[in-house]
Amino acid sequence: MTTVASTRPAHPMAPVHTVGQRPRRSGRRAGVLFSTPFLIIYLLFLVGPLLMGIVLSFFNTTTVKDGLGGWVGVSNYAKVLGDSLFWDAMWHSVLFTLITTPLLVGLALLFAILASRIRRGRVFYRLAFFAPYVVPSSVVALIFLWMYTPEVGLIPKLFSAVGLTAPDFIGSTSGGWTAVILMTLWWTFGFNFVLYTAAIQDVPPDVYEAAAIDGASPWQQIRLITVPLLNPTTSLVLILQILASLKVFDQIYLLLGGGPNQSTRPVIEYIYDTGFTSYRGGYGAAATMVYFVIIVAVSAAWYGLRRLRATGTAARAAA
Amino acid sequence: MNGAKLFNRLCAVCLTLFALIWFVPFAWAIITSLRQDGSITQAPMSPFAGGWSLHAYSFAWHNYPIGYWYLNSLVIAALAVVFTVAFCSMAGFALAFLRFPGRNVVIALVTAGLMLPTEALVLPQFIEYRSLHLLGTYWALVLPSVAAPVSVFIFQAFFKGIPTPLIEAARIDGASWWRVYWTVCMPICRPAVSTVSILTFISSWNAFLWPLLVLNQTKSQTIPVGLSSLVSNTNIQYAEVMASSVLGFLPLIAVFLVFQRRIVQGVATTGIK
Amino acid sequence: MTRRRLLALGGGLALTGGLSACASPLASGLTGSQPNTADVIYWNLFTGGDGANMVLMENAFRKQHPGVTLEATVLGWGNPYYTKLALATASGTPPDVGISHLSRLPLLAAAKLLEPVENTGVTDLGITRDRFTPAAWQKATVDGTVYAVPLDTHPFVLYYNVDLAKKAGLLNAAGDGLKPMKGAHEFVDAVKAMKDAGAKYGAAMSITGDPATAWRYFSMIYRGLAGPVVTDSGTRIDIDTDAMRETFAFMQSLTGPGLMPKSLNGSGANVLFSTGKAGFLFDGEWQIPSYRLVKGLHFNVVPFPALLGPKPVAYADSHALVVPRNANRSPERTANAARFIKSLLDHSATWAQGGHVPAWLPVQRSKAFLDQSPQRNYVQAAFNAQYDPVAWYTGAGSDFQNTVGGTIIEVLAGRLGPRSAVAAMRTDLKRYTTARPPVTMK
Repeated sequence: MTTVASTRPAHPMAPVHTVGQRPRRSGRRAGVLFSTPFLIIYLLFLVGPLLMGIVLSFFNTTTVKDGLGGWVGVSNYAKVLGDSLFWDAMWHSVLFTLITTPLLVGLALLFAILASRIRRGRVFYRLAFFAPYVVPSSVVALIFLWMYTPEVGLIPKLFSAVGLTAPDFIGSTSGGWTAVILMTLWWTFGFNFVLYTAAIQDVPPDVYEAAAIDGASPWQQIRLITVPLLNPTTSLVLILQILASLKVFDQIYLLLGGGPNQSTRPVIEYIYDTGFTSYRGGYGAAATMVYFVIIVAVSAAWYGLRRLRATGTAARAAA
Repeated sequence: MNGAKLFNRLCAVCLTLFALIWFVPFAWAIITSLRQDGSITQAPMSPFAGGWSLHAYSFAWHNYPIGYWYLNSLVIAALAVVFTVAFCSMAGFALAFLRFPGRNVVIALVTAGLMLPTEALVLPQFIEYRSLHLLGTYWALVLPSVAAPVSVFIFQAFFKGIPTPLIEAARIDGASWWRVYWTVCMPICRPAVSTVSILTFISSWNAFLWPLLVLNQTKSQTIPVGLSSLVSNTNIQYAEVMASSVLGFLPLIAVFLVFQRRIVQGVATTGIK
Repeated sequence: MTRRRLLALGGGLALTGGLSACASPLASGLTGSQPNTADVIYWNLFTGGDGANMVLMENAFRKQHPGVTLEATVLGWGNPYYTKLALATASGTPPDVGISHLSRLPLLAAAKLLEPVENTGVTDLGITRDRFTPAAWQKATVDGTVYAVPLDTHPFVLYYNVDLAKKAGLLNAAGDGLKPMKGAHEFVDAVKAMKDAGAKYGAAMSITGDPATAWRYFSMIYRGLAGPVVTDSGTRIDIDTDAMRETFAFMQSLTGPGLMPKSLNGSGANVLFSTGKAGFLFDGEWQIPSYRLVKGLHFNVVPFPALLGPKPVAYADSHALVVPRNANRSPERTANAARFIKSLLDHSATWAQGGHVPAWLPVQRSKAFLDQSPQRNYVQAAFNAQYDPVAWYTGAGSDFQNTVGGTIIEVLAGRLGPRSAVAAMRTDLKRYTTARPPVTMK
């Protein structure tokens, strides 16, 4: 259920601290016993669904009835890849990612830098920006739906107070996107903010002091010191944000139901609609696998890039 | 120097403004929940029109089984925390201190697990759980959150920070590995336990899609899924709906306020999402 | 770690937690058994006026059976409801009684999610074929087995403004209905007469963003000329090209010259008809209660006359009561469920207040119903009812209705001519007919 990367680039799997030179028999047995419970759960409930998905995608399985159904070969895949609605949904997920990622990463960086210049009240900012993140998506949707309500909601009222007409937040496609993006911004922005604040705290203060003595203005300090030093964090935040945004479901499903007329429906809702609403388990599994491969490719590309860069730096350091 | 001070002052003003904006939805929800539907429609922007009352809260509490939803969320999150901490700390311990056959396989599996977008797998997951007859039970929600590679990594990283001589001493005293794990290492690892607990609790409490698929009876739902049934753009019982959402977020905000330092640290060290 | 061991562990936790007061749903969450939070668990999808009437009927049952507790849950209309019903049944924790549209029944039945009516014991309570509107009972039968007890029939009907109709000379001698009309020509003339009588539009209907209404309107006209658009359980497209072109041409003969607005959403249609700016309104009878509330509006409701074909057609659907399959349901629970179903049928005169025609003949022929006007005007429509074609993807609120309805909206809005619209319909239908059905259907 989670996608994670360690902020500290320390190798989590560095050589093990074995006790004594040669592992004793008891250590071998204990090791197996200790890791077995987790391993069983992991294999059954994390690897299991993956294998299940691969198998199902070749059958005409029904979601609501026992049994696999008939073997259909790759025809589920052919249908998914040829379905314009699937690609529409894919595009909606990508569009959501393209819009939210720069906003959520850029604003988080900006705010974290601003916060770093202030001595007092850091806890206050952290509370304000991170609190929404611990609230369930449906509660967020309830509150925002109320704020978006035409005529009586807070946001349309604010629009009319400054003499503008509010977009139709729930009934139109562009309004719907605006509504979802504003809500997402409020809800998840604090997460990246916290990651950046933590990273900024790791920057040694004497770097700034030296720069200040050299006569660097605050803006120069930020541009020439803070931002470059935060590059590794930005790369991490970026990939986490891209992966999370590609998996969008809750906000769009709750606020818009993928509408109007499926014009905002993300991939996961497409899988939900075909697999659960229409009971087409096998077909839904094929759509799942196509989507799954795309996400894994994105994160593999990121890991690959990072490794490439790491070895590049190492080579330069050695030379 | 003066320029820098001015700049910092500007930062503070700007940031405070945004922080206040960030509080608005919470405040607006609370204010709405205390008003009456009639006066809300008539004077949406004047919070004091029509007087305040707790009527909407009693309505929400009596009309929706919020108590059951809380109980379900709580039991599921608690079970998830207990099993995650137990199983993942044991696995982390094994990976940190013990060399055993298959260790490399475990490491490879767990590392690969970090990259898998498991939320995308709800459909095959559903069919697997159906064939195991786990649908409709709390276990259907507990088990996937136990299979969390990140928790294993957090524990492993903490265990590795424990000085090896400490463990060797315990072993020489004749302590079994279980005793080493339970009486030496776990007490030292309290911060890891609390980080994993908090993160597991929040993600389990807030999960939406999977519980939506798995728990279907009205009184067996969790808070997020139960409250999602109130999401409707034709609803005009604004105060009641907002009262329900306040009931939905208040306990979490309270927990967050109490543990905020630890939660933020946990997020910062693991980058969990 | 086996599941049993886990369950035992969890059970221990629950007990030590001292939570026995709320043990029932809790225990069922831990063991996966049937939750017994009430003797009858009932799911429906009614809000608004229908929802209020349903609550009255539930209370009548509670009063009649004080020893039986009833838990009623309202879920989101359309796909969310049906998804939930299917998932709950597949999870082994379904409600004891649920509402289903008869148009949604073929898939639910073919997926073996429903208990055949003969196994639920309602027959012993006198719920038999001869006491229902035949068309509804027929539609409740899938492949020879009856899976649902019809509650009502709700046709797509013709609303008219009485004052305008009088001015236009459309009222019959008694003044309680319209002069007999037959054929498209006379109908278009009537709409023109309405407009000439001072209305801004002769007729109105909800078009924009409302594919379901568009689909109902289309089906009503088209089915006067031809059979269902898909046959063989939804695997074959069976379009009568000429009939469909004629249907679209007829639709545009009203929207084209401005007799009807081309683009109008639901609330727009409501405003036009409520304020006397539209003489006719094409909509489902379930809107009657909301128009009753409009002060100063005199309206009446009649079935549509025959338009393109020789006979009048009523496009309709029915709400029906189903018992989702649950292997663990005790005989007592089933018996309570049957009693509840019977009670709802007996009180369906209350249900008819929402505009619906009761399917249960004892009520349909009772004074309590026949005193209700305009409901009694269109009882015949329930007998002429044409439902959605039988397929795994059709039915109320389905994606199919949304897709096909979307194309019909384009026609109504004048953005698509009859010829290209037929091609577009064919493309829409192909998406569904070529998709592999999730369950085999006869």
